[in-house]
Amino acid sequence: MNKEIEKLLFNPIRLKTISFLMTVETCTFKALLDVTTSSKGNLSIQLKKLNDAGLIKIEKYFQKSYPTTDYSITKKGKTSFEDFFKQLQSLKNE
Amino acid sequence: MTKEEKLIIINEAIKQTKTNLKPLGYNLIFWSIVVISMSLFHYFFPKIVQYSYYSSTIYWVSIPLIGMVYTTYYNIKTGIKIGYETQLDRVIKIIWGVFGFAWIFTVAISILHNINPVQDILFLLGLVLLMNGLIIKFRNITIGGVGLLIFTIYTYYNPGLNLLLVNVIGISFGMLVPGLSLYLHKKDE
Repeated sequence: MNKEIEKLLFNPIRLKTISFLMTVETCTFKALLDVTTSSKGNLSIQLKKLNDAGLIKIEKYFQKSYPTTDYSITKKGKTSFEDFFKQLQSLKNE
Repeated sequence: MTKEEKLIIINEAIKQTKTNLKPLGYNLIFWSIVVISMSLFHYFFPKIVQYSYYSSTIYWVSIPLIGMVYTTYYNIKTGIKIGYETQLDRVIKIIWGVFGFAWIFTVAISILHNINPVQDILFLLGLVLLMNGLIIKFRNITIGGVGLLIFTIYTYYNPGLNLLLVNVIGISFGMLVPGLSLYLHKKDE
């Protein structure tokens, strides 16, 4: 598994975010705040890192004149998480 | 962070995803009440609904279209409030979207060929309810769908039945009762 991705998922907030996004199609920033129980600023930084690594997709649009942001996992994100999870499982079973 | 701690984090994050099934229950109740009320009003006041050649068609098309706009607004609003959409939410949304399209298509064909669409719509609704019940694993919706399918097939072999009353009976037992039980009892998946 890519060491950079492994390092990226070492952070609990990023790991929570990716795990949650694996189970949903899309979600809002508020939902991620509830899941990660992180501060807005910290979560924004972690999301940017995940986005820069190509693991998540951030879509910004206007809904009734209000700016809205949707977050979803990318194909690369799914594959990386699956590899990461398999690795964890195999290490646990050893 | 140890491997166990990582697995706990993953497990907890996944556990927080729940498909909220109350909105589906609400939609079923809403549409049941609309269709039953419309059918009963048509049954008891046929002169008002059928005062002109096209009035009954306008009555049966315009009110459901307003209902569609309202439920779309309600579902979008509920989706924003929940903050996320699960795969199950998406599947349910697609199924009902296809049903809405099929409803419009069936009604348009029935207007063009001057035939009553009640049985076709009820059959389609029975199939959709059966699919929903099986997908969300809720027995009452599945039974409602199967019941509605059997009832609709029965009406095909008994052409003398009043289709407005068929609508009331079919929707009451096939959609209203299961919808109420889903709204009141179903825990999130």
